[in-house]
Amino acid sequence: MQTLIQTFMERRGDLLTALWQHLGISLAALVIAMVIAIPLAIWAVRRPKMAEFLLQVTSVLQTIPSLALLGLLIPLVGIGTVPAVIALVIYALLPIFQNTYLGIDEIDDSIEEAANAFGMSRMRKLFKVELPIAMPQIIAGIRTAVVLIIGTATLAALIGAGGLGTFIMLGIDRNNTALLLIGAISSALLAIALSALIRWFQTAKPKRALTVFALIVVLLGGGGAYSVFANRTETITIAGKLGSEPEILINMYKDLIEANNDHVKVALKPNFGKTTFLFSALQHDQIDIYPEFTGSVLETLVKGSHPKGLTAEKTYQLAKTRLATQDQMRLLQPMAYNNTYALAVTKKFKKAHNLKTISDLTQIESLLNPGMTLEFIDRDDGLKGLKQAYGLNVTAKSMEPALRYTAINKGRINLVDAYSTDSELRQYHLAILKDDKHFFPTYQGAPLMKTSFANKHPQVVKALSKLAGKISETDMQEMNYEVNVQNKSAATVAHHYLVQHGLLEGGR
Amino acid sequence: MTSAIEFRHVKKDFNGHNVIPDLNLTVSQGELFVLVGTSGSGKTTSLKMINRLEPLTAGEILVNGTDATTVPIRELRWDMGYVLQQIALFPTMTVAQNIAVIPEMKGTPKKEISATIDELLTEVGLDPAEYRDRMPDELSGGEQQRIGILRAIASQPATVLMDEPFSALDPISRQQLQDLVLKLHQRFGNTIVFVTHDMNEALKLGDRIGVMRHGELLQVDTPSAIAQHPVNDFVREFFGASRAKKVYDIYVGRVGLEQGYLKAKPTVAAGQIQAIDVQATLRTAFEALTTHDYLAVTEDQQVRGYLDRQTVMGYLSTHEPD
Repeated sequence: MQTLIQTFMERRGDLLTALWQHLGISLAALVIAMVIAIPLAIWAVRRPKMAEFLLQVTSVLQTIPSLALLGLLIPLVGIGTVPAVIALVIYALLPIFQNTYLGIDEIDDSIEEAANAFGMSRMRKLFKVELPIAMPQIIAGIRTAVVLIIGTATLAALIGAGGLGTFIMLGIDRNNTALLLIGAISSALLAIALSALIRWFQTAKPKRALTVFALIVVLLGGGGAYSVFANRTETITIAGKLGSEPEILINMYKDLIEANNDHVKVALKPNFGKTTFLFSALQHDQIDIYPEFTGSVLETLVKGSHPKGLTAEKTYQLAKTRLATQDQMRLLQPMAYNNTYALAVTKKFKKAHNLKTISDLTQIESLLNPGMTLEFIDRDDGLKGLKQAYGLNVTAKSMEPALRYTAINKGRINLVDAYSTDSELRQYHLAILKDDKHFFPTYQGAPLMKTSFANKHPQVVKALSKLAGKISETDMQEMNYEVNVQNKSAATVAHHYLVQHGLLEGGR
Repeated sequence: MTSAIEFRHVKKDFNGHNVIPDLNLTVSQGELFVLVGTSGSGKTTSLKMINRLEPLTAGEILVNGTDATTVPIRELRWDMGYVLQQIALFPTMTVAQNIAVIPEMKGTPKKEISATIDELLTEVGLDPAEYRDRMPDELSGGEQQRIGILRAIASQPATVLMDEPFSALDPISRQQLQDLVLKLHQRFGNTIVFVTHDMNEALKLGDRIGVMRHGELLQVDTPSAIAQHPVNDFVREFFGASRAKKVYDIYVGRVGLEQGYLKAKPTVAAGQIQAIDVQATLRTAFEALTTHDYLAVTEDQQVRGYLDRQTVMGYLSTHEPD
C-alpha cells in the first residue's frame, strides 16, 4: 500500500498526461461512434431487413479480438492514435446502434399512430416523440460503450497511442505491481466517472448539460489543435521500446541532439511498443529515430540467413548493410554493452569457486543448481544449445522470471539465466559469466533512422555518434537499477551519465 | 347544410384481400355519428381512411366538400382531432405539453395555448394547477383519456375522430366520459365520428348510427329507428346482445327506445310525475316509480317522452340477461 502511494506521488505528472490521453482517445472514439451509430439506427428503423443486417455486422465486428483488430489496422493506417480510435469506434458501434434501434423500434405503435394522426412532420416526430422516449435506452447504450471503450483503450499503449495502458504495460514489463494497479484503478475510476457523467447528462437541465458538453469539447478540441500546431515546428520524434533501458537511451539522444542544435526540438515517445511496431512506425515516418539492437535486426527485421557465432563487429556490419540495401535505413555505430542472454551467479559464489567464464562451470557441474525461465530452457539459442556448445551437463528448474532472482537471492538456486543489463543483477549482487565461446548472439544497441533522414540531418548523426562504444553492461545495469528500483526518472539518469562521462556539459 | 364527410364508392383491400367493397356514407356538419360493428367489420379502417392513416384502394372521401387527398396531409390532420383506444398520450410530455401538441405546430401564441389548456382542464373537471405538469403515467385511465380527448380538440378542429376510445376503461369511467363527449359536442359543435363495438354506447351517443358488418353498412339511422325497426336479424341480434349485463345498469332512455314512449302527457297531478334524465339507470327509475306513477324522461331539460309502470315492466319482460 505504501509503495502504491509512493509510486503514485512520483508519477502524478505522468499519470495526469496518460489520463488526459486516455480521455481524449476514448471521448473521440465515443463521439465518432455516436455520430455514426445513432443516425444509422434512426435510418434503419424503417428498414427492418437492413437493421437486421447492420446488427449482424456490428455484432461480428465486436467479436474480433482487440489485439487482432489493432494488428489488422497497422498496415492500413499505421500506428498511433488513429488506429486506436478506429478500433475503439468499431467496438462502440454495437451497443449504441443496438440500443438506439431497439429504443425507437419498441415504441408502442399507438404512440406512432397518434403522432402521425396529429400531423407531425417526420423530424418533429423524431425529436419530440421518438428520441425522448428512446432516450433512456440510448443513454444506456452509450454508457455500455463508454465502459467498453475505456477498458479497451488501455491496449492503445501497444501501438503508441499512449494512455493509461502505458502504466499497465510498464507494470507488467518491470514486474511493478504498484504501476500496474495505478493504471488499472485509474482506468476503472475513469470508466465509472464518465458513466456517471453521462447519466447526469440525462437528468440535467438541457441548458446546463449543453454547457458542460460544449466545455468538454472545447477543452479536448483545444488540446488537439494545440498539439497539431505544436507539431508544425521543426521536431524530431524519437521513440523507444517498452522498458527503462530504451527510455534512458532516448533521453540521452534528446540531450545530445538538443545540445548541438538550438533550432531542433526533440519529442520523445517512450514505451511506444514492441520491435515490429517501432520498425513499422519508422517506415511510415511516424517517428524519426529509435534505438534498435544489432541482433534483433538480423533475427527479425531483415531478410536473409546468417552464420552462428558472429563477433559483435561482424553482427553490426551485416545488420547495417542489410538495413541500408533492403530498407534504406541507417544503423549508427553501436554502444559498448551487449544486451543478450547471459548466465549469472552471485558474486560470492563466483569468488568462492574462482569462476570467470561459462566454460569454468564444467569444473563444478555437480555443485550447480540452476533455476531458469521456461523460454530459456526450451530455446535452441538458450540452454539446449548452450549445453551442447560447452559440453555442460545440468538440469534446470523452470521458474517465473521474477522468481528466479528471488530464489538465487535466498540461496535456493545458484545459477540463473538473465539479460545482461537487467537491473536485478545490480540489485541482488550478481555477476555475469563471460560467454567465451560466443554462443549467444550479440545484441548491441544503436540508433536506427532512415537513410534520407540521416543525409538531411548530419548534425544529428554526429551528435548520436558520440555514444558509439560508450556505456558498459554494468553502466546499463546501474542505470536500469536507478530507474526501476530507485524510481529515478529516466531523464535524470540519462543526463547524469552524459555529464559524468564528459559527453555533455553539466548544469542543466 | 353541407356534408362534413362524404364516402363515395370507397373500396379498401388489405394484401389483395377486399375488406370494404363499396362504402357510401354522408356525415353532416356538427353531427355525432357513431359507427358500430363487431371486430373485423371495417369500422376502424373506415375511420382511419378519413384522416388518411389508411390509404384508399378506390373511390374518394370528401372532407368539407373537397377530396381529402388534394389537401396537404398535415393541414388535413391539424383540423381533425383523433382519439385512440390505447389513449397513447406522449409519455415524455406533461399533460399540458400533450394538450399543446397541435396548437404548437399550428403556431398558436404560447399565452393563448396556456389559457386554452387551463380552460379545457377545468371543463373536464381536472384542476389545472394540480394536473398541468403531471406526467401521463401519474394519471388514472379515465383521467388519461380525458387528456386524450382534450389533446384532440385543443385547437378546435372541425372534425374529431374517435376510435373505440372508452373500450379499455372501467364502466364508471366509461359513463363519465360518454357524458363528457356529449357535453363537449354540445359546447363546441364539432363533427364527431365515433367508432365502437358497444351498441349501448352507440345508442346513448349517436345522433345517427351506422351498423357495419363485413365492410358494408347494413343500416344508417337514428337510435330510435334502429331500436324499433332493425333492418335485419343481424342488427336485431347485435342490438339485443349489447344489453347491459345487469338490468339495473340499463339506462332509462333505452326503455323508451324499445317500448316507445306514451303518446301524450298523462293527465295526472304534477306531483305524480318524476322527471328523470335519459341517461339515468333503471335503478334510479325503479326508486322513482315506488313513489310516482309516471316518469318524464328528459334530455337537455327537454322532455322526450313519458313512461309508466306498465311500459317499464313490458321492457323487463322481454329483457333476457346473458
